[in-house]
This record gives sequence, C-alpha cells and structure tokens, in this order.
Amino acid sequence: MKMMNRMQLALMKKDIRGITSNKQVFSVMLMVPLALTIILPSIFVFVTVLVPDTTSDFQKLLEMLPSTEQIGNQKQMILGLLLNKIMPVFFLMIPIMASSVMAASSFVGEKEKHTLETLLYSPLSLKQLFQSKILASFSVSMMVSFISFAAMIVVMEIEVLLLTGSAVMPDLSWMIIMLLIAPSISLVAISITVRGSAKAQTIEEAQQRAVFLVFPIIALVIGQFTGIIMVSTWILLGLGIVLPLIAALLVKGSVGKFTYEKLLR
Amino acid sequence: MKAVLTQNLSKTYTGSKNAVDHIEFSLEQGEVFGFLGPNGAGKTTTIKLLCGMLAPSEGSCRVFDLDPAQNPEKLHQLSGVITEHAQMYDHLTGLENLVFYGTLFGVNAAECEKRANVLLERLGLVDAQDRKLAAYSTGMRQRLSLARAMIHSPRILFLDEPTSGLDPESAQNVNSLIRELSVDGTTIFLCTHQLRYAQEICTTYGLIDEGTLLATGNIQRLRAMVFSGVVVHVKASRMPDGLVYQKTGEHTYDITVNSEDEIPPIVKGIVEAGGNIYHISTHRMSLEEIYFSLIDRRKAGKEGENDE
Repeated sequence: MKMMNRMQLALMKKDIRGITSNKQVFSVMLMVPLALTIILPSIFVFVTVLVPDTTSDFQKLLEMLPSTEQIGNQKQMILGLLLNKIMPVFFLMIPIMASSVMAASSFVGEKEKHTLETLLYSPLSLKQLFQSKILASFSVSMMVSFISFAAMIVVMEIEVLLLTGSAVMPDLSWMIIMLLIAPSISLVAISITVRGSAKAQTIEEAQQRAVFLVFPIIALVIGQFTGIIMVSTWILLGLGIVLPLIAALLVKGSVGKFTYEKLLR
Repeated sequence: MKAVLTQNLSKTYTGSKNAVDHIEFSLEQGEVFGFLGPNGAGKTTTIKLLCGMLAPSEGSCRVFDLDPAQNPEKLHQLSGVITEHAQMYDHLTGLENLVFYGTLFGVNAAECEKRANVLLERLGLVDAQDRKLAAYSTGMRQRLSLARAMIHSPRILFLDEPTSGLDPESAQNVNSLIRELSVDGTTIFLCTHQLRYAQEICTTYGLIDEGTLLATGNIQRLRAMVFSGVVVHVKASRMPDGLVYQKTGEHTYDITVNSEDEIPPIVKGIVEAGGNIYHISTHRMSLEEIYFSLIDRRKAGKEGENDE
C-alpha cells in the first residue's frame, strides 16, 4: 500500500509540475484570479471611498441587511459588504476555473499528447490513476484559491487602511468558503471535467464542460446586485453542505465509470 | 508456465468485423516472437488484448498465467510496452522521463537513475539525456521509449514497430539489445513490417492477416508450409542432358532440389559432361518470400471463394 502511495505521489508531482511549467496554461490560470481578487476589489474600494455618489447604488443592498449591521460609518459598512457579501460570490469562480483548467490538462492533456496510453501500461489501477490526478487538480486549485485569498486580503486591507484609516475584517462566510465551498466546488468542477475527458479530444473541449458551473455563480452575482437574493452565511453554509455531497457522488461516479478501452478510443 | 497463451482469442469492435479472429498460439519464456502482418491485420489489437487494454469479445488469453482483463495492474508490473501512441512528456528531459516512469513502476528514485543511466548509455542517448524531449528526433524518442519500457526490468516486452524511424546503426543496436534481453530470459513479442529485420532476431513467428492467424512456428516450419526445398543457382559453361533446370540468364541456371544431399551429384554431372562451374550457391526461402507467398495464397483462396 505504501509503495502504491509513492507511485501515486510521483504521478501527482508530475502533474503539478506539468501545469506550473506550462507558461501558457499557468498564466491563464493565474490571470483570472489576479483580476478577480486584486483588480476588481481595488476598483470597488476606490469607487466606494473616492466617489461619494455611488453609495446610493448600494442602498438596496444595505436595506436588506439586518438592522444590527447598519450601525456605524456607511462607507465602512459598504466596504464590509463588499468584502463579505460581494467578493465571496466572485471568488467562487477561482476554484472552479483553476480546477477545471488543471483537470482538463491533466486528463485530456495526456490524451492529446499521447501520454495517457503510457500511463495506462503502468501498474497503477485506473482508480489509483484517477485518484492521483483528481488529487493533483484539487491541490493546485486549493493552492491557487488560498494564494488568491491571501492576495485579496492583503491588497484590500492595505487600500482600506490607507484610504479610511481602519480595517474591514473578513467574517465567518469566508471560513465557510475557504474550508467547505472552495474545496467541494473544486471537486465538482474536476469530476465534471473528468467525466467529459473520455469523450473530449482536446483540452479546450474538456474545459468548456466545466464552464456552465460558472452560470449559477453569475446568477448569484446578478441576483445580489439586483437585490433578489442576499448571499448570507446561511446560504453559504447550505451550499457548503450540499456541494461536498454532490462532489462525493460525482467523483465516485466518474472514477468507477472508466475502462481502458473507453479511455483509448 | 507459458509466457503467452491465447485460446480462440477474438476481438470485434462495435459495428465492424473481427479485428482479431479466433487466434491461438503460445510463447515460451525467452522466445523472440515476430508477429507479422500488413497494416490493419490485427497486430496492435492483439498487443492491446494481451496487455489488458481491450477485453476479448470471445476466447481468452493469459500472460504468465495472468488474465490481462482481470489483473491488468499485476501484468503491467511484469511487462514493458512500446506502441505508436505510448509517448512520453515533452516538458521533461530524457532522464527525468525515465526516472518518472521508473517511479511509477515502484522502483525507487536512486535505482531508477542508475538503471536509466545504463539504458541511456546502451541506447546511445547519454549526450541527450538532459535535453527536453521536445528537442528529440523521432529515432531518439523511439530509443527512449525502449529504455522506458525496460526501466522496471520486465519479464516480457511488447514492442510494436520498435525500429520504425531508426537509422540502420541504431536499428542494429536495438536488435542486439533485444537479443541480449532474450538470452537473459526476457520474452519479446515483436510486431513489425520489416521482415528482414524480423528474420534477424526472431526465434518464432506468427503471420496474421485480416485478423486471421495464417501460420505460427519457427522459420523451418513456415518454410515447410510453403516450399521446403532448396534452389541451387549455378553458373556453368554447359549443362548435362537429362538434368531439369531453369535457365535464368546466359550460362546461369536454377535447379530446384528437395535437400542439399542432391547437390554433389549435380556438380559431378556438370563436370563429367565437360562443363566448367564458375559459381554455385543455394537459396532457401526467406521470411519475406514465405510471408508474401502465404498472404498471396490467402488472397487467392478468398478470390476462389468469391468466384464460387
């Protein structure tokens, strides 16, 4: 068993190295999180702090907040809203994107470059092969997510501190996101990509399959801005419970589904 | 225990005819088996069946008494495979590739490096070992694939066209490596089109066409299926009367005999008739001639069937 783990670890390491050494794919993978976690909140922060008129746009959102949260400086409140209610929804695109890019290159990339067959001739079982690959994609996705989160907090806190003199603190929802939702949504995206990988012949084709996962997120964003839904800790917690279940089912289903014959077609 | 044993092995892909049609053969350990046939004859399908990549539609096969469809992982530990589509990573160097695949087979990294160095040296790739695979030529990739297939010291090697893309010198080198391996007890299952090359290194053969196994056995056995006699080429100033021969040129003749024992009386006859002999040589059917003759015979047979 221990030897098997070492073999799987070798495959995982190779996969992670494969994506980080591919500048083209890796830069795409880093660019979007960078835009989402540094540029986007920065624009929000500057607009909120420097342009006084825009606050009225947030009025609808502010009205939906429980009255206890409405105490204090309005700008501070808007910034808190930005960090803890708006950014989480945008942030969810990062694990989805990172894991689907990684999973596509790890599964279909091997097929495209004719290296999958070589792996199939190894003494790793299909299940072990898939486990290692899923784990590699998952690790990269979590790595990108945590780096993005750290970058966002650092940049935002510095900006807010410099502009308003006091900090905004991330609340419980971020803990739910980072520890429950980001990992499980990564697994969902990975398993969807993996399921498509047997049919897909190119990396792009496989990535497209995970794209539709972004739609519910966009719906959440739109819903939030139009005032239809408010992303609360409860909604996040609910997602945090449902998503891991879906992820577990999907992963189990996708790992069991493959045979050598299907993969080589 | 047989190295390979197939019984009634068949594979039908959905919506097409049998890619492999009820084939039966067996290989002893240490044998170099040449599996020969035209493109699309079913060679690669047979390799995939024997490696557990495909499940047989009918019949069964065993490799070292393991059922490839049931125990692919165990079998892969014992086997090394080269096929056209089993490539390695372009972003890794030659050495890194070998070490990676070695680790995948449970060999520890230090041992992998040691074995990789020996193989790279043996296959003339030492100078290129630290170059990324992307910069390798086809021939270099092919040689590295052979090193990759051997990194875990397998008991059986499945080689699908291992010398395609190799220059004559490298091909020679690969040949001698295969021979050494078989002397050490490794069984080699070799698919190739290059019949002269096959005749150089194989101990037994299987001829396949359109999924049907036409013949198996060593060269003598195959020859016996077509024509076991010897053709004697003679260049002489005159031929005695009563000798059956075929004139092939000025003073050159071909005489067909059943065995070499018949040659001395022929020579005597020519000399006694006052002829001078300038050249005499014997010719047995080569693998290539046997191959074409068997394939033609099958074609003729099929046309005959169609005509009826």
